[in-house]
Amino acid sequence: MKPAPFTYEAPTTLGEAVDVLGRYGDEAKVLAGGQSLVPVLALRLARFEALVDLNRVDELAYVREDDGAVVVGAMTRQATVEADPLVRRAVPVLAEATRLIGHFQIRNRGTLGGSIAHGDPAAEYPAVVTALDATVTVAGPSGTRQLAAADLYDGPMTTTLADDEILAAVSFPVWGPRSGFAVREMARREGDFATAGTVVGVTVADGRITRAAISLFGMGPVPLRARDAESHLVGAATAGLDLTAVGAAAVAGVDPPSDVHASGRYRTRVASRLVARALESALQEATA
Amino acid sequence: MTATQAAPGSGVGRFLGQSVKRREDARLVTGHGRYLEDVLWPDAWHVAFLRSPVARGRISTLDVKAARALPGVRAVLTGADLDPLVKSWWQTAMGKDSPQPPRRLLAADDVRYAGEPIAMVLAESRYLAEDALELIDLDIETQPAIVSDHRGRWGAAKDGELVHPEYGSNVASTLPYPGMPDSNPALEEVLASAPHVVEETFHQHRYICVPMETRGIQARWDPARDLLEIVSSTQNVHEVRSTVSRLLGLSDVQVHARAEDVGGAFGLKCFVDSEELAVAAAAYSQQCAVAWIEDRNENLVAGGHSRTEDLTVSLATDADGKILGIKGHHVEDVGAFPTYGVGGNAGLAMMMLPGPYDVGQYFYSAEAVFSNTCGMTPYRGPFLMETVAREQLIDITAARLGIDPVEFRRRNMIRPDQLPFTTPTGLVLETITPIETLDQATEMIGYADFRKEQAAARAEGRILGIGIASYIEGSPAFGAAGAEQVTVRMDMAGQALVFMGSGSHGQSVETTMAQVVAEELGIDIDDVRIVQGDTISSPYGTGTAGSRTATTFGGAARIAGQKLKEKILQVAAVALEASPDDLEITDGVVSVKGTPGAAIGMEQIAAMAYAGHTMLPADMEPGLEAKHRIRNPPLMFSNACHAAIVEIDRDTGAVEIKRYVVSEDCGNMINPMVVEGQITGGVVQGIGGVFYEHFVYDGDGNPLTTTFLDYLLPTAADVPDIEIGHVITPSNTPGGFKPMGEGGAICSPPALINAVRDALAPFGGLPNVQPLTPEVVLDVIDGVPAV
Ligand SMILES: Cc1cc2nc3c(=O)[nH]c(=O)nc-3n(C[C@H](O)[C@H](O)[C@H](O)COP(=O)(O)OP(=O)(O)OC[C@H]3O[C@@H](n4cnc5c(N)ncnc54)[C@H](O)[C@@H]3O)c2cc1C
Repeated sequence: MKPAPFTYEAPTTLGEAVDVLGRYGDEAKVLAGGQSLVPVLALRLARFEALVDLNRVDELAYVREDDGAVVVGAMTRQATVEADPLVRRAVPVLAEATRLIGHFQIRNRGTLGGSIAHGDPAAEYPAVVTALDATVTVAGPSGTRQLAAADLYDGPMTTTLADDEILAAVSFPVWGPRSGFAVREMARREGDFATAGTVVGVTVADGRITRAAISLFGMGPVPLRARDAESHLVGAATAGLDLTAVGAAAVAGVDPPSDVHASGRYRTRVASRLVARALESALQEATA
Repeated sequence: MTATQAAPGSGVGRFLGQSVKRREDARLVTGHGRYLEDVLWPDAWHVAFLRSPVARGRISTLDVKAARALPGVRAVLTGADLDPLVKSWWQTAMGKDSPQPPRRLLAADDVRYAGEPIAMVLAESRYLAEDALELIDLDIETQPAIVSDHRGRWGAAKDGELVHPEYGSNVASTLPYPGMPDSNPALEEVLASAPHVVEETFHQHRYICVPMETRGIQARWDPARDLLEIVSSTQNVHEVRSTVSRLLGLSDVQVHARAEDVGGAFGLKCFVDSEELAVAAAAYSQQCAVAWIEDRNENLVAGGHSRTEDLTVSLATDADGKILGIKGHHVEDVGAFPTYGVGGNAGLAMMMLPGPYDVGQYFYSAEAVFSNTCGMTPYRGPFLMETVAREQLIDITAARLGIDPVEFRRRNMIRPDQLPFTTPTGLVLETITPIETLDQATEMIGYADFRKEQAAARAEGRILGIGIASYIEGSPAFGAAGAEQVTVRMDMAGQALVFMGSGSHGQSVETTMAQVVAEELGIDIDDVRIVQGDTISSPYGTGTAGSRTATTFGGAARIAGQKLKEKILQVAAVALEASPDDLEITDGVVSVKGTPGAAIGMEQIAAMAYAGHTMLPADMEPGLEAKHRIRNPPLMFSNACHAAIVEIDRDTGAVEIKRYVVSEDCGNMINPMVVEGQITGGVVQGIGGVFYEHFVYDGDGNPLTTTFLDYLLPTAADVPDIEIGHVITPSNTPGGFKPMGEGGAICSPPALINAVRDALAPFGGLPNVQPLTPEVVLDVIDGVPAV
């Protein structure tokens, strides 16, 4: 479990990092917190001629408010996100989801951008990004571009980012008043990637749901949006809502994977119940 | 929480019986432990093994030329290079003639499990060694693997295809042994006529030792000194020395083995396996220093596996639930190359299946089978299937008969008035207290009140359950293992060095044995140092394993200490012109009883014993050194009862352990804190086994759980507070100690499984499946047949 040889590059600005990355093309990989990349290298499941370390690129570590959104720099540590007062107030579900990532030691190193760029289908952040319709800022040789969350993931641990692009920041829209959110997951142990999980957001006005978002993680090759269930929710009265039916609708047609931890059948059953639980909690928050 | 119920004379002294803080901890918890990797020789060549990617097949190409040519690589060795060096290969405890699978250091013609070493690279660093591995050209013609499916159906172990053609059969061993009766007609009669006979098959999946420090060894052959020097992460340095000397045809005085701090073992490091021997052979043949530190991936795939068995038990009772007879049939998968002999655990399981009960008629049969998987290695309580199966069957039987499971146990347990009790397999139980520990555990957990709470919770739709399990822990000390030696040497300054053949790998031996010796000598514990794990300085011994250290080394330390104390008093008597009988030792000072003014310090006594020998009587040997080699019974016993309360999440099947209680009787405790630490660690391994840990192979023998991402160990977050109560009934051996190191791991699996079974009773039966993943549990709740 020792990585193959690689060259180590340590730029200090985003521009420099893009340049260095451009020189190597697909022969280089960006190193953020290393919590996913380093084990992959050590097991020699992947190898790269060079690692471009972003840990000295200070301009990529920040949390700020920008035009009705909270923008988080890619190199912001997960632990920082979890504790950030702005995140907790304006995008509380992001903070709540962070607590479910690994253990605190991992969150001290792991970054928001690393998790989102890594794109593990059982990870929390990609599901939050997907549920909240976040926007990703990507820096490349020809400048920066914006990418909608829906267009970010291609397959398990694959994004639509080009080899010479760096995920620079993620912008989370701030939902209006009378909104509620929840994240629920089933993991074999405290701190494990989810066997199945869900992120739910709702806005309620006059006893009716006006906005709803449900994403599922651990349930497919990429984080999924339960659009059918969402469309049934929008306009529905909160009183007497059949949570179980929403849960069932959310997993209808989903074909989750089977592995040594659980079968797809188990994931489906559990995800539908987690959606019901999360929705109940989100509605409570929205109507409190 | 701790409750203690002590018999008179339970041996509490200044140090003995006290929760003295572990002397190991200051260095271990501050990162100053010294493990093998901390002492690698700068000139050592680092090893990486090329391992088989498949479970079974013929090697058609093995070309190491390019790897040999990589700069920084000293050698790439194959079976053709190393295996001719092997002179003989056997384990001391098993003897030269016990059956074994064919052994080899490196696979040459065929491979027999995924992970089997095929070639070994010696390079300047492990990094380079792994680079070289990638340059080796290997082709294997895959053959169908002989594997049991991971849910314990053994259908594949047919003799058409053989794991070891040389062995002639996939059946590695059977019980009864040849010459023993192959049935018990009286039991058959009982089974045919008893009012109730319940039979179930219990499965135990593959889960494994996974010590924090993996295996590792460095070896150096020095022709000038005619010495093969070894540092190994081992429980038993003498076994390392002797296995290596036999392997290479050296003599025991040509090999020196020692250990540094050992970061856990759990049985994995009792014996010496092919990779470790390959390192020694490479050092010898290459005449250089060679080092191998197993990485976690290797440790999981090839570090020795455990459990993996089925036990079918039939239990006959009368109408009132009195047990009339019990019959067991055990099937074990020992993998391809079990680390010792043919690896089966049935021999001990057979002795222990009756447990703490008076079972009437008895019979046990067993079959161990080879498979194309990693070989079996001992793991804390290797024989525990007897308790795992029996305690589940007792709950199932009690439920069928409508008898409370605690009451059922009480009715059948061996009573104090039956002691000494001879079991059907001839074990003599002298000082066990199963009913007392059952009573203490059920009282601590509030068994009676829990049943009310459970009924109320069920009415609210919550799923709660309680599980009880009892056992006796048998510690084998066969052969040399029952005759350990301790030497206590006091030099001229009056402090004691204690030399023992133990091999602490987490048992607090440096603390507990110092307590014993300090107590006997009347000196401060800080004036005692334990020396172990070195074939040159330690007396010959079998290391630390099988829960024997307190009973064998502890007993020997006690007597050696007493002998030295007598000598100290004799020398002091000369100085004080008194009779030794009138002297006492307090805090390192010898004085005449009742005349505190007439006193002499330990340092003066020691000086006199050596330098002042001319003052000693002519018939007194100078010096202050005493040894004792103990003679212990081949089996000793402790007993305990575990009780667990669980709550299950109705939506996910996740199990939460709400309470966990242990009541145990290990006789006199040298250090109650250490006893509780041992119990707690064992229980955590049981929690891991029942709910998390599972080494999985697919149907072709490919390992699927090769990192900690998939092989799940319990973390601190998954472990409840473990509450421990003590009953103290001394054994009849020196010190009154009993074996207790494995019990936590033995009794926790059935206690936890029983708790889940009890919780799920309203939903129907628990299938014979392990581990109890959330999915298994949820399938029962949802009434969905298991996949
Ligand atoms: C024991 C353990 C448990 C864990 N549990 C969880 C869990 O429960 N949930 C969870 O979500 N995660 C979990 N993780 C993963 C953790 O969250 C990682 O930190 C995260 O997946 C990757 O972030 P990183 O900053 O460490 O990225 P790295 O490991 O450095 O990089 C990961 C990948 O992303 C790429 N990358 C990183 N940053 C960028 C960027 N700015 N632009 C483009 N590409 C980039 C890298 O090139 C690499 O391919 C766990 C990790 C461990 C070790």
